Amino acid sequence: MDALALFGVFLKASALSLGGLSSLPLLRGDLVAPGIATDDQVIQAIAIGRISTGPNGLYIVSLGYLVAGVVGATMALLAASLPPLVIVPITAAARRWLVATPVAGLVRGVALATAGLLAATGIGIVSATGTPSLWQLALAAIAAVLTYRGTIHPAIVIAIGAAAGLALGR
Amino acid sequence: MSAREFGEAWALSQLSPGIHLVALAGLIGRRAAGWRGVIAAVAGMMIPAAAITVALTAAYEMIAASALARAALAGVAPVTGGMTIATAALLVRTSARHGRTHLAIDLAVCFASLVAAVFLGIPTLAAIGAGAAIGALALGREPPTSRESSVG
Repeated sequence: MDALALFGVFLKASALSLGGLSSLPLLRGDLVAPGIATDDQVIQAIAIGRISTGPNGLYIVSLGYLVAGVVGATMALLAASLPPLVIVPITAAARRWLVATPVAGLVRGVALATAGLLAATGIGIVSATGTPSLWQLALAAIAAVLTYRGTIHPAIVIAIGAAAGLALGR
Repeated sequence: MSAREFGEAWALSQLSPGIHLVALAGLIGRRAAGWRGVIAAVAGMMIPAAAITVALTAAYEMIAASALARAALAGVAPVTGGMTIATAALLVRTSARHGRTHLAIDLAVCFASLVAAVFLGIPTLAAIGAGAAIGALALGREPPTSRESSVG
């Protein structure tokens, strides 16, 4: 896949998502399904994105690097930076329109649909390498609870997963 | 920037596509120094973090093929899956409305999207489009339960 096409994939995922990991269902559909990226690379990118500094949504920079090196990371960075900026000129021109009921409903509808898609993607990731073992299901449940509660840094949760993998995954 | 201006910028950033923190940085940057401020704020937020992310990814790539890394991935995969499911739950928490009926409708939209993706093979873009259309027509009547967000 050439750099411009990769930029298009990342831009579409970023422009049609609402924060953080919500670009994941679109990216997984556009990159993993056609064989451009693997589920392993998606998993690695999410983990690195959670460990690294900056917004959660920067996992796409890691994914861009894994797919196409520095060029891929640069395309992902540009694609992640541009869509949020549309809000800057819009707020100057149409602040009242932005808080109107249909717009609020549209944003809510996209967020709820994206949440369903994200849950489906999470299930897909857990079962990406075949039927998960009991310990893997337990690990997924623990990670979900810890992430939802937000009391432990994601890097620690990932370290727990890696340690469990080293102990039980061989 | 006053607390009220910051609060307004934060609320508007939640309506933007993509990473909300980038939108917030852009709005703060514009308030501080116009379009130059937008570029400086977004570059300041994204470039160092992206460089660190690339460095971590490159370092990981060097050991990715080793037996130890493969074994660790068997544990990291369910963890990232669980994190993704939790992110979905957080998105519902910040988006769903007050009241039993409204909440039930909002959860039904979310569940329909999940079923459409897992069991019906509906394309992701179609599910998002359907969510947008249903939302614009029927989900705008009440404010969300919380304006806090932890989905970044």
